[in-house]
Amino acid sequence: MRHLNLTGLLLATTASFGFATAAMAEVTLSFLHKWPEPENMAYFEPAVAEFEAANPDIKIKMEAVADEPYKDKIRVLMGSNEVPDVFFSWSGEFGKNFARNGRALDITDAVYGSDWKDSFPEAALQPFKYQDRLYGVPINVDAKFMLYNKQIFADNGIEVPQTYGDFLAACQTLKEAGFEPIAFGNQYPWAASHYIGELNAKLVPNEVRLADYELTSEPDALYTHPGYVKALEEFKKLNDEGCFNRGSNALTHSIARGSFVAGRNPMMYMELVEFTEIAPDTPLGQAGWGFFPLPPIEGGEGEAGLLTGAPDGFMISAVTEHPEEAIKFLKFLTSPEQAQKYVEITGMTSSVNGSVTPDNASEQAIEGLKAIDAATGLALWLDTDMDARSTEVLLAGSQALLNGTDTPEAIMERVRETALAVQKERGNN
Amino acid sequence: MKAQTLRRIAPYLFLFPSLLLLVAFVYAPAVENMVYSLFSWSSVRTDSRFVGFDNYRELFANPIFWRSLVNNVLYAVISIVFQVFFALVLAAVLVAGVFGPLLRNLFRTAFFLPSILPVTVVGLLWQLIYQPTIGLIDQVLWATGLQGLSHVWLGEEATVMISVILVSQWQWTGYMIVLFMVAIQAIPNDLYEALRMEGANRIQQFFHITMPGVRESTLILAIITIFGAFKVFDIVWVMTAGGPNNASEVLGTHMYRSAFRNDVSGYAAAVATVIFFITLAVGIIQIRLQRQD
Repeated sequence: MRHLNLTGLLLATTASFGFATAAMAEVTLSFLHKWPEPENMAYFEPAVAEFEAANPDIKIKMEAVADEPYKDKIRVLMGSNEVPDVFFSWSGEFGKNFARNGRALDITDAVYGSDWKDSFPEAALQPFKYQDRLYGVPINVDAKFMLYNKQIFADNGIEVPQTYGDFLAACQTLKEAGFEPIAFGNQYPWAASHYIGELNAKLVPNEVRLADYELTSEPDALYTHPGYVKALEEFKKLNDEGCFNRGSNALTHSIARGSFVAGRNPMMYMELVEFTEIAPDTPLGQAGWGFFPLPPIEGGEGEAGLLTGAPDGFMISAVTEHPEEAIKFLKFLTSPEQAQKYVEITGMTSSVNGSVTPDNASEQAIEGLKAIDAATGLALWLDTDMDARSTEVLLAGSQALLNGTDTPEAIMERVRETALAVQKERGNN
Repeated sequence: MKAQTLRRIAPYLFLFPSLLLLVAFVYAPAVENMVYSLFSWSSVRTDSRFVGFDNYRELFANPIFWRSLVNNVLYAVISIVFQVFFALVLAAVLVAGVFGPLLRNLFRTAFFLPSILPVTVVGLLWQLIYQPTIGLIDQVLWATGLQGLSHVWLGEEATVMISVILVSQWQWTGYMIVLFMVAIQAIPNDLYEALRMEGANRIQQFFHITMPGVRESTLILAIITIFGAFKVFDIVWVMTAGGPNNASEVLGTHMYRSAFRNDVSGYAAAVATVIFFITLAVGIIQIRLQRQD
């Protein structure tokens, strides 16, 4: 706030000297996000231009880096105290980390104190809260589904699986028919984290799982629920029984997706925002495709209706010199008109109320959003919901499981040790 | 008198600007890094806490650190074999005129070319070559009936590090060959002539003239190779990011992951300090060996 007063004082002084217009023109907001792909920039570039045209006194300096490098880039910027005024954040722990350490601006009053709150379903705001205060607004909502090739399913007489047992049986049928049933690229092991996150949500009671992820469980109980080991066992089983393609640890997710889209694999676990990657003229597009949420596991103690997914969104730097302008910019990006354009151009699914319509989104995307609405809640991405260090242990462990060089019990033991250390560390701060 | 004083201080005046830059950009950050390694802090957090040598204790207890160090040593040893030993032999063969000038230039250029490619390009290229099923190596193995040798080269813990190291040799051995060729060509030709008149064959010439003649260059190139092996980061990060299951982690990637993924910057600074002392030790050995000449 001191900055604001200073700016105000400066403005007043310059105005009194008669240079008001020159000073008015220059508020520059830095804006960093993780969608540098041409199809996404095709939305962001015109949106920024439109905002600048409507607000001649504000300039936006936009920068974008891809998903993986973004995780490093934002930390480097924070470390060198060059935090962008407006920046992308995943919801869950990734964003909470910024809130906890005083890096993100508390925007509770700006959202809840105005009609801005009506733009979003409460469920999409929830993952951006830390200690009941809001630190981010969602731009899209994403979830994970098992996609399948309709042609291959029909040729082999397979119905959409209703139970987890059906799903494993389908894998076997397809394997016997000569397919590598599921395309899976785990060179960057966030891909495994989506499977493990979903299995955790199915096998571990919700309140236990959330307390473990947030490290608020009692130290004696932290990550001790047997569901975690069971989840890793189920993941390992998918590999050992030949559901995944060969060499998943050496394939990137996009190469695996290429194989699925080319019609070589019958199934792939994909995100709603990736639906646009399947063009109608690809072999998969021609064969027809559908999707289903991974079915619940018989006897699992988790919440059966949960879906793995999360909103993505934007935060404002806690030390920005222009909080009002930054809020104005975010309000603009999350206005229904902009959100409709966002959906239409990027093919993503916006979390802004009423932005996804049959006019701007595919049939499958609308169905996907309906499935999110029907879910009892979202289990956030594991690698952005657990603390970073425990996640690294689990992710490396997922690669060891695929190679058969480590056991679920040993991996969970290491996760627990790491989580205990982080928990202790946090207690010290 | 005045001119004499000026002459005395002139060298220092000339040295001053570069010394200032060195202190500001090399020595001061290195010292600062050592101070950082005594704190528990992260780039996201705004506070930090003095923890003494806790980061080092944690480091030496961490199996991933030891695996990284072993990988770096393996990197150094294999690099010495290829980039110093093989490179020297190949350079001697090329200089000795076993091939005609056309073939010699062709080989030299072919060996040298990989070194002008950016590391990221080389990494992605070889990632495709190593790819299971669709990669070139796997296809050749299947086509020649050697599928029993097929591996998921970058996906198995046993093969990943050696696969990455070999790419590095592919890229840099040619570069070293050219450096050795220059050194060999600087050896006076009459020495060879004298030995030839004594009836020495090419192998004897290599051991008695070429090797002693390039001793100095060999030492420097070996040291540079070892430095490179301990500082390696880019090719590993591009090809495997240290995976699977940290099997191809080197000190550089371990440091990077600690700082920018795990948010333990104090620990990362401790890794950096260890890398600093390892390379410093190698440097001191080099200076000692050179002094003996």
